[in-house]
Amino acid sequence: MDAASTVRDDFRPLIEALLAGDHAAALAETRRLSQIGLSAETIVTAGLEIAMQQLDDKCTVESFNLLEIMLVGRAVSAVVRELYPEGVPPDKSRGTLIVATLEGDVHDLGKNIVKMVLIGKGYRVIDLGRDCPVDTVVAAAEREAASGVLISGLISTIVPQVRRVRAALRAHGLDAVWVVAGGAALKQLVATDLDVDCVAENAFDGARYIEQRFGETKP
Amino acid sequence: MPKLDVLVRGNRHCLTFQPGPSLREILDRSDYRVRSACLGHGACGLCRIRQLAGDECPRQPAELLHLSKAQLADGIRLACQIYPTTDLAVELINPAAPSGWHTPPAGLSVAPPSLAADRPLPGGVCHPYGAAVDLGTTHLSLAVYDLLSGHRLAERWGKNPQARFGADVVTRLMAATEPDIAQALAFAARNAIGEAIEDVTLREGLDPQRINRVTVVGNTAMLTLLAARNHDLLLKPAYWTAAVDCAATDGASWAAAWGISGSAEIELMPPLGGFVGSDLIAGLVTSALIDGPAPALFIDFGTNSEIALWTGDELLVTATAGGPAFESGAGSCGTPAEAGAVFRVTEAPGGTLVYRILDDDRAKGLCGSGLVDLVACLLRVGRLEPTGKFADGGKLFAFSVGEQEFVLNKRDIDALQRAKAAIGAGIVALCATAGVPLAALKRVVVAGLFGRYLDIGNAQAIGLLPLLPAAYIELAGNTAAAGAAALLISRQAQEMAERLRSRAQLINLAHYPNFDDAFLDHLYLRPMQEN
Repeated sequence: MDAASTVRDDFRPLIEALLAGDHAAALAETRRLSQIGLSAETIVTAGLEIAMQQLDDKCTVESFNLLEIMLVGRAVSAVVRELYPEGVPPDKSRGTLIVATLEGDVHDLGKNIVKMVLIGKGYRVIDLGRDCPVDTVVAAAEREAASGVLISGLISTIVPQVRRVRAALRAHGLDAVWVVAGGAALKQLVATDLDVDCVAENAFDGARYIEQRFGETKP
Repeated sequence: MPKLDVLVRGNRHCLTFQPGPSLREILDRSDYRVRSACLGHGACGLCRIRQLAGDECPRQPAELLHLSKAQLADGIRLACQIYPTTDLAVELINPAAPSGWHTPPAGLSVAPPSLAADRPLPGGVCHPYGAAVDLGTTHLSLAVYDLLSGHRLAERWGKNPQARFGADVVTRLMAATEPDIAQALAFAARNAIGEAIEDVTLREGLDPQRINRVTVVGNTAMLTLLAARNHDLLLKPAYWTAAVDCAATDGASWAAAWGISGSAEIELMPPLGGFVGSDLIAGLVTSALIDGPAPALFIDFGTNSEIALWTGDELLVTATAGGPAFESGAGSCGTPAEAGAVFRVTEAPGGTLVYRILDDDRAKGLCGSGLVDLVACLLRVGRLEPTGKFADGGKLFAFSVGEQEFVLNKRDIDALQRAKAAIGAGIVALCATAGVPLAALKRVVVAGLFGRYLDIGNAQAIGLLPLLPAAYIELAGNTAAAGAAALLISRQAQEMAERLRSRAQLINLAHYPNFDDAFLDHLYLRPMQEN
């Protein structure tokens, strides 16, 4: 898709700073936009979200390396902290999502990238970190009234843990929570195998699935 | 360096060589081997070549014995009897069949001379030999030693055939969760050791039945996959800092399959624990890390990279995923540091890049050191940015070496950046844990064949090695193979290994709180900085 056509001129410097991973410039632009009276929601929609869309388009042609993606992630997180120093309140966000790397796996680069993409799209994201027990995921989903849970895994030993997530959510009456799995070990399996709703090919794919589900639930 | 023109089956190849070894030894490192069946002392008479040009050295007694008057008049010589020092052209009239087993690019798997052959001899064979094996993720090397004298007789290296199940250890461990694949992985490694033994004994005229001890070092994953035991444990985080048993349980059947003495001792040197294998112990034995200046850092660059820090009092060790960038160069244009590899790239005045090829004139690709050089050159001339982006916004750098054309992709540079970041973060984590600033290091041992050809200045420019005086940095070559040899023959080496084992503290990098920041910092192609 041609994302460039939807870019507002006043947001161009912010989007460029984000994509360049220049978090100082991105912060300065964010402050400038806030000062001229633009709301946090507008900055997310017209800035972060467009930047994420462009990153997605570029990532599909593999023109971004890991460092560039991580730098974008750092810049996005800095901007979100600037806009919402107390964290995104549930009523301002498009929905709450839980991200976690399950117990037994400490490789959370994939999780961090999906977190960045979701934040950039305006969702409220609760990051439970790495080496996280399934019970903690369920408790957080309940407490935060999350719409979905995204779990990443690099190594295959966490497959049994992933398979437990849905049942553990159901046991707490959280049947409606979407479960998305991604990461090197998991993407070789199919959703029914893991008892999840979606096995994401990459972070953007996972985020697209979430967007699509939110789209279905809206009138 | 002098040039060697080799005419083989009608094709001409041009190698360069360092004077010193015999013509046969020079050829053994290349893809153009001659037939032979002795250790190169002129006993078998098979390594016949025709000298086409170059200085004529006097005929040696072995040549007069094996060659007829007509052959001598025709310029026929024995390759093992010629020690060339100037340009030479030869025709291989008795070429060996192509083989995956070669003499290592530089004979570096020699046990340190300070470690004498003082281990009690294994019983059952009079005047036994031993084989020292370094089973790496990408390569396997094997050296045959005379256990009585401690002399190295011959060595071979080749690829670890397990690579077809995955380039890195985690992929292979995951594959091995299927019992059939675990069997196939174990068979592949054992069979490769058998092939190396067959090649070295046949070509060097050694009796395999005299091999009465085999000492194997390797990273934990390689040893468990070889032994077909406990490889599943390595996928469990609880074992990442724990001991993993991978002793061979069926040595007799291995010995039978390899055609060596039925009474042979098969020793799989136990790993330290987690992913830190006995290859690291072997490397630390070779470099005598805990007996030298401190603080000292030891880095074994490989697919599974291992790092040790000796503070003078404590020994901290860890393992980190390096990926294949160091051992096999980068993806599309990568090759191991063997004949045909571009191992050195320099800038000539005027900015053109000059490529040097190892033991051949036809480039197969860039090995790890060539990749580091090329990336450093591109950074210096401003074609590449420290983030790994091409300055012109492009996705590749195309270059040609002679008639061969190659492409260095952004993705290949990304692989180097990731490998570098994993090691850089590992170094910073060990130093921070021990409270040793990088600038305080007095010694850095760079192990692995990758390190053998590394340009220290370029490695420092991209942040692969700490910025220290070059005199502190030792390019030690394949220390794991050298240490395997030391452990094979020497009781002193075995004792040092025990001392190392009792002192080493395993560090799990995942528990280092600033790992993510350190990893990101070291993704940049720029000199290493203290945080």
